[in-house]
Amino acid sequence: MKQQTVVIKSNKYGITLVMDRNISFENLLKDIAERFRTTSDFFQDARMALAFEGRSLNREEQLEVIRVIQENSSLEILCVLEQDELKESFMKQAVEGRQRERDSNNGRFYKGTLRSGQVLESETSIIILGDVNPGATIVSKGNVVVLGSLKGIIYAGAAGNEDSFVAALNMAPMQIRIADVIARSADGPLYTKGNMTGPMIAYAENGNIYMEAITKDVINDIRI
Amino acid sequence: MSEVIVITSGKGGVGKTTTTANVGTGLAKLDQKVVLIDTDIGLRNLDVVMGLENRIVYNLVDVVEGNCRIKQALIKDKRYPNLYLLPSAQTRDKTAVNPEQMIKLIDELREEFDYILLDCPAGIEQGFKNAIAAADRALIVTTPEVSAIRDADRIIGLLEANEIKSTDLIVNRIRMDMVESGNMMSMDDVVEILAIDLMGAVPDDESVVISTNQGEPCVGDSSLAGQAYMNICRRVMGEEVPFLDLKIKSGFFGKLKKLFK
Repeated sequence: MKQQTVVIKSNKYGITLVMDRNISFENLLKDIAERFRTTSDFFQDARMALAFEGRSLNREEQLEVIRVIQENSSLEILCVLEQDELKESFMKQAVEGRQRERDSNNGRFYKGTLRSGQVLESETSIIILGDVNPGATIVSKGNVVVLGSLKGIIYAGAAGNEDSFVAALNMAPMQIRIADVIARSADGPLYTKGNMTGPMIAYAENGNIYMEAITKDVINDIRI
Repeated sequence: MSEVIVITSGKGGVGKTTTTANVGTGLAKLDQKVVLIDTDIGLRNLDVVMGLENRIVYNLVDVVEGNCRIKQALIKDKRYPNLYLLPSAQTRDKTAVNPEQMIKLIDELREEFDYILLDCPAGIEQGFKNAIAAADRALIVTTPEVSAIRDADRIIGLLEANEIKSTDLIVNRIRMDMVESGNMMSMDDVVEILAIDLMGAVPDDESVVISTNQGEPCVGDSSLAGQAYMNICRRVMGEEVPFLDLKIKSGFFGKLKKLFK
């Protein structure tokens, strides 16, 4: 049996590919392909982080390796880590972070009026079928859509995702936070007769929060 | 079939006790057997508004602690034979009673009365928890002010969390002249924020102050507030009653004044 040119080390969250530095890249790819074909049953549909060891690869080569791995197994590589980050805890963080980001693009619904003192927290995006009254708080790691009046405190992208947005049919929040950016409502009378804003969307850009009427242009700029 | 109704607001001074006294008296006028329970232990005043303070021997805490029987503590109203009051204690505080004891007490009263009205203390602490423990439904009293509405909103949320599903709104002390000039929220504005059904609106009427000071609820008299309270009582009983026009009708001189404005 010939000497192994590719060794796979794995832990719960990631795999480290130890590669021989003395063979050509083409041969290496072939060996990787074979190695993953034979072990694909072991990994099944796992989602993992990937790290390289034994040989330094440039960006294209890394992508090539990932392509080969994914072609020859049902593994899903969520991210690539640098060599000094090989520790399991780093991989864990990285994988869970990506997983969360993915989750925040999923949504859940809440039906009813959120009243003063009530707090709704969500790991995912959230759609409220009702009003968010003054004094109520919504914290979401994703986006927030309110099919009603938004008058409370809203916190989107709570895990730090600045691409998160907030949309409401009547946008009059006391405070909006998106990731680390905070905006508050203008000072003025607490009660003014029936001023509905119409559907609006709020997003963060360069450390500011912008609120705009929902138009095609604005929606085109939203990243999900 | 008896019904237990808690009258609550969150904020103090919006008219819970006055509403309890008037709705209770009104229901008694409509031939219902009614008991009013003052759950504001330490700050009792429903008995004062009802003009029954001088008759108190035993109170709510005495009943709960077993110092007397319920019958001994119930005060029969001086005007209506089917109206009773269970006064609260003045010398104790809210911790003297717990929700389980309230449920037990009210279950005993259910057998005998058509309506059991609970006058809830302000706040959301022990006293509030005691008052809502046994309630089937709630009347939320608020004035058209942002602070009272904010508290009412919180209270509605807490009632929902405690599975009291039937909550209705009473907007108290509304001044139609201010509503018309745009300086006060209208009933519709309040209902829009709180998103619950309106049971009635009571105008800011000096007859309420006068009747309170005399220990004689104004419900059913000729004043606008008295009519408004009577309508609320009918709606509580499930009748469909159109809403009153709360605009103060200007007399001959008022009309004359308007002409020259």
